[in-house]
Amino acid sequence: MDLVPRLSTPLAPPSLHAFDRDHVETLVGELTTRLPELVGQPASVTRMNGGLVGLTVPPEQLVAAVTFLRDTLGFDMLTCVSGVDMGDHLDSIYHLRSLSNNWVLQVRVSLPAEAPQVASLVGLYPAANWLEREEYDLVGITYLGHPDLRRIMLDDDFQGHPLLKSFRSTPHVVHDRATTQVPPRQALAGEHQQNLETVVGKRLGQGDEERLHPGTPTFGNMAIFARTGQGVIAPEEGDGASGGTGSRQGSGS
Amino acid sequence: MAEQTTSEVPRYITGPEGLRSEEMILNMGPQHPSTHGVLRLVLTLDGETVVNCTPVIGYLHRGIEKILENRSYMAGIRYMDNSDYLSPMLNETAYVGAVEQLMGLEPPRRAQYIRLLTNELQRIASHLVAIGTYGLDLGAFTPVLYAFRDREGIMDLFEALGGSRFNVNYLRVGGVLHDFPKGWLDQCHKWLDQFEQHSLPELEALITGNEIFDARTQGVGYIDPKQAIAHGITGPILRASGVSFDLRADRPYMAYREVAVNVQTRPEGDAFARYRVRMNEMYESVRLCRVALDKMPGGPIATRTPIALRPPRGETYFALESSKGEQGIYLISDGSEYPYRAKIRGPSFVNLQIMPELLRGHKMADVVAILGSIDIVLGEVDR
Repeated sequence: MDLVPRLSTPLAPPSLHAFDRDHVETLVGELTTRLPELVGQPASVTRMNGGLVGLTVPPEQLVAAVTFLRDTLGFDMLTCVSGVDMGDHLDSIYHLRSLSNNWVLQVRVSLPAEAPQVASLVGLYPAANWLEREEYDLVGITYLGHPDLRRIMLDDDFQGHPLLKSFRSTPHVVHDRATTQVPPRQALAGEHQQNLETVVGKRLGQGDEERLHPGTPTFGNMAIFARTGQGVIAPEEGDGASGGTGSRQGSGS
Repeated sequence: MAEQTTSEVPRYITGPEGLRSEEMILNMGPQHPSTHGVLRLVLTLDGETVVNCTPVIGYLHRGIEKILENRSYMAGIRYMDNSDYLSPMLNETAYVGAVEQLMGLEPPRRAQYIRLLTNELQRIASHLVAIGTYGLDLGAFTPVLYAFRDREGIMDLFEALGGSRFNVNYLRVGGVLHDFPKGWLDQCHKWLDQFEQHSLPELEALITGNEIFDARTQGVGYIDPKQAIAHGITGPILRASGVSFDLRADRPYMAYREVAVNVQTRPEGDAFARYRVRMNEMYESVRLCRVALDKMPGGPIATRTPIALRPPRGETYFALESSKGEQGIYLISDGSEYPYRAKIRGPSFVNLQIMPELLRGHKMADVVAILGSIDIVLGEVDR
């Protein structure tokens, strides 16, 4: 078995296909001629640096348009999903790649800031699952029809969406007194520090509950046992909604 | 970082003679030597067989995308190092390339060739870690020592070049930071010779053809090419499934427009094929390094670019072939000194998604063999 690669045949010179203007124009032509009858309005196609083609689609036509792109134009890979806070509205941006035709296409959907909702693409591309979950988590766009839309990067009890421009990443209130100016008794008892931590913790929007350290083993699942009643004692009423926080730890330990 | 929800309620399986067995939930990680970081896998087991797997990620989330929004373009390069911390050069090249594409800036040829050289060295370093730790996962302790010994040579080269072993912070918009110091090229030649003539054959002799390694990897974790494309998988995993897709060859960027790349593919689609593709890519990277050293043009190493860059308003998507797959940057500029939005498309994040489908039906012992063959870096999964 010859496992080591050899240069048996001379290499073809690298293809500059991707940045070939005619090649990109073919895609633009296909989009401008065939998409309007599907979407019902003239397609707004833009050309960008690096052979990238941009397309704006109304949110209700997204699935129809992407199905057309996948089945007819051969965009078989969903590469990237990005959510952007554009100030007065949110954008959900999809980057599609065609391996057979070597095209990259950027599809943009504009959503109202009050209720950013758009249909999920998981049915078309399984890759959309985590990509959309991430944008739901960090930007707050709801993808309708997603099978498992919950936070992926941040904690379940995190409040807010950090990549929104309105998100305060720094605490509103910081104790302005230097440590030396704290009364000695308070400093020794650690009271001052505890106050500061509470303020910071709450202002960061991480919920009111004390959180378990991420490394704390929560074998099995408290929520399951609470529901099925097997294995451990079910938590008290009004406590069991958030899973995994059965045993609480004191702060500052 | 979410806890398990409804679908994970254990099922009871009633066998013949009324015997009942119960599915078990096994928590693997986040602190586990074989998860290559802080990945947590919640496995539902029926005896030894994996019924379902739910990856729980986010333990290493640092909000790099938010940090980049608050740093000027030149200052943000450094934070890209922490995304995929095993291939910082490639991440930096992606970010820098995105800014350059946004500005329509073409760096000098020498800078492009220096980038190619450092990128290929970094690819070797990353693949060495992938293969070494993969051996470690499968119970072979020696390969990781050999692999890390060889990687040290690359780290020394980077240290001489950029001043730091890992977080090199070497690339700049419009070029690179330093030219080669005295004697660097000789050292690089020496390392490449030593690596190709001694280290790679040693590594091959240790792993390839080892009966245990073959038995544990061949036919394990098969990925169908169509499935791989639908799941957005790129990099060595996609190429190990027989799809010849490599951004260096298919959408060449920077110096790859002049240097042809031999795309390494394997038709099998199993864990062994992925190992094999990584090994072959190291041979190919050594060849590319030599080509870059031979063709290294003279001239300036960077254009004159202001520190306070203000790219024109607009957006761009730039992708390059990282050691794990397609590393993409989606960048929006509002004309100010800070990027309005910088989205990192990490290949590890997308590649990890297929884990549950791969594990279903495999034995518990194969979990580590499959996870190791995907070669994730949690810094990039969580960002």
